[in-house]
Amino acid sequence: MNEERYILFDQYLQGELTVDEKDTFEKQLAENPELAEELETFKEMHLQLENKFGKESERQAFEQNLTRISDKYFKKKKTKVVSIQPWYYATAAASIIIIFGLFFFRYDQNPSFKDYNNPESAYFTERGVAEETLKKAEDDFNGKRYAKAIPLFETILKENHSPEIQYFYGISLVEESHYKKAEAVLNELISGNSIFKEKAKWYLALSKLKQRDYKACKEVLLTISEDFENYEDVEQLLEELN
Amino acid sequence: MDQSKIHPDQKYIDGLAANDSGVIEMIYKKFAPKVCMFITNNSGDKDQAQDVIQEVLILLFNQAKANKLQLTCPFDAYFFLLCKRRWLNELKKSDNKGVTIFENVLSTSESARELIEQSEEFDERQKLFDTMFEKLGEKCQEVLKLSFTLKSMEEVAAKLDVTYGYVRKKKSLCVGQLTQWIQEAKNFNSLKKH
Repeated sequence: MNEERYILFDQYLQGELTVDEKDTFEKQLAENPELAEELETFKEMHLQLENKFGKESERQAFEQNLTRISDKYFKKKKTKVVSIQPWYYATAAASIIIIFGLFFFRYDQNPSFKDYNNPESAYFTERGVAEETLKKAEDDFNGKRYAKAIPLFETILKENHSPEIQYFYGISLVEESHYKKAEAVLNELISGNSIFKEKAKWYLALSKLKQRDYKACKEVLLTISEDFENYEDVEQLLEELN
Repeated sequence: MDQSKIHPDQKYIDGLAANDSGVIEMIYKKFAPKVCMFITNNSGDKDQAQDVIQEVLILLFNQAKANKLQLTCPFDAYFFLLCKRRWLNELKKSDNKGVTIFENVLSTSESARELIEQSEEFDERQKLFDTMFEKLGEKCQEVLKLSFTLKSMEEVAAKLDVTYGYVRKKKSLCVGQLTQWIQEAKNFNSLKKH
């Protein structure tokens, strides 16, 4: 395999060649149709890969939905009418046991932190302050590298004690399971009056959930105002906790 | 493509791409009976008809998602022909006994024929690609999967615990390997045709 060629293709498509290199390469493309064709195939592979992996979950959702509709249309019979035979009672008894089993099994399934953990992205630097630490903290947070983001937030908070930074710092602490510190930060926000008040309550509840303290979690949830933008999550979690 | 040439039935394609249950149900209700009739009249049964329809709809979904499907003819003719041709291919493959095909005459427009060709070619390309992808080594498959799932190559490098430079090079070479195989298959096919 011509390794150099494919590395060059990739650099060309990523726009990483210098002006001179790019000119030379494009000249080669114009003179060598085989090379140009290969570049086209190389590009096509990117599209195929994007389609294969980038849309995998959408495709799965579609196939599931399609199968359901298709089965409904073709009226797939899942149950058949049977005359009652002695074994029927045994089966029925077994199903009742299974149903009870499922009931208790379900009952024991508590909601988990990761089902509800969808931290929003931070966008600190769009607001004009193109400060380096801030940018790094934003990137680390959005990239879920919370352990790295935490010390950066601490540095920033020393100079700028803003509710926004506190909020994202609090989330990072929960993610890294530093509960005591996290809850102190979140509680400070909750006692304040910033727009992060309700959001902080939600993450305080999730912190309790992560520690499997379901009672405390519920108590916090009940204090969240219905105006909270993700109130449906609050309702769902409450329902699961009951 | 000239937007004015797009047939109003494009709504079915858009509905499929959006996984719109209402549209999918409508497609079954309106267009499945004819396909079922054809397949059951031509050595097939209801289950086989169900499979053919489902395969064709998945193909249309994939093609629409790749932004490569603009309907220039009625959905009815296009969908029926795709299903029919797929079923005839199935029959050819299993070719056990002499099969009689009862075709009802269907006038096909030029644009329908063109679209069908495009869809079948799309399908073939995707299948060829999938076969070649399976041929790649495990490491290549993993690098490519991550490269096209995660947001940045930096993240891929971190996930695999290697350097950025390494992962970039590896990705280029893995895509290169696919390119080479597909190119060879293409050249071979054009040799066959000529």
